[in-house]
Amino acid sequence: MIWMVMITCGLLTFATRFVMFSDIAPRQLPDWLRDALGFVPIAVLTAIIVPAVIIAPEGGLAIAGNARLPAAIMAVTVALVTRSVLATIATGLATLWCLEWLVY
Amino acid sequence: MPLQLGVAPFGLVFGVLGIASGLTPLQTIMLSSIVFGGASQVVFVQLWGALVPPTVVGASVSVINLRHALYSASIAPYLRHLPLRWRIPLAYLLTDEAYAVTIHRLRNEPHSPYQHYHLLGTGMTLWVCWQITTITGVLFGATIPQSWSLGFAIPLTFIALVAPVLRRRADLVACLTAGVISIVGQPLPWKSWIIFAAIGGIAAGYLTHRLAGRRDAT
Repeated sequence: MIWMVMITCGLLTFATRFVMFSDIAPRQLPDWLRDALGFVPIAVLTAIIVPAVIIAPEGGLAIAGNARLPAAIMAVTVALVTRSVLATIATGLATLWCLEWLVY
Repeated sequence: MPLQLGVAPFGLVFGVLGIASGLTPLQTIMLSSIVFGGASQVVFVQLWGALVPPTVVGASVSVINLRHALYSASIAPYLRHLPLRWRIPLAYLLTDEAYAVTIHRLRNEPHSPYQHYHLLGTGMTLWVCWQITTITGVLFGATIPQSWSLGFAIPLTFIALVAPVLRRRADLVACLTAGVISIVGQPLPWKSWIIFAAIGGIAAGYLTHRLAGRRDAT
């Protein structure tokens, strides 16, 4: 069962990457669709980021005493300044470890 | 190249996460070559581990994947003249990271008949790096203490991708809407908040963009 779902998801992923390379695809996407798709990376990735940062493992909001929150804010700052994936991950994890060790 | 280093922690964490979500080592490793997309794979294993019905897993992965259609559209003018034996592997290799590097190169360098080799090279390097780090994560995942919170590298990677592209007001609206729905929607079954947050964010961003455009035009 899981193999079927894996292969289906693989085909779906390939299809969305190939869609505009195919011979039958229109030369250009309609403007409205291109504009709307432009928001996909932001919307999709934010939907994964936010719960990973502020939802507690057992469910429910975690604000006070949640070291992931300041770590994420540090990571956003570093991402804006350096635009480096590695620097962002390093800062975020370092902040998390420091806070968990020092404070919480 | 910093690009490959950037996917290394993600691949490693994915390997660990796959096993932790209840997939076998073979399934985790094969997912990295069958799907070959970090965000899609992470969502897949998290949903599968949470016993979400397969159709909802497929729908969620499809929504996550929508951004590839955008990459495909923006890169297609440079590749459409190529035969299928080129376009199929290039489409398979079209990840976020490969796209980001390639489109920059294609736009800023003069046209050359061999320019598609750059996407092939970038894509293959990323592919090899992704497979190696996934396998490493699968093999050594159990030895990494839980207290290291390595799973946090996944949202951190996405922060690195999202934060720098938040430029227009509509981008911020899309981001905030998706964020709020992803929290408010937590009680929804099958983690379907992923789908609602993504679609809500896209719609809010697009509407803001449309309204802003109309105001500028008048």
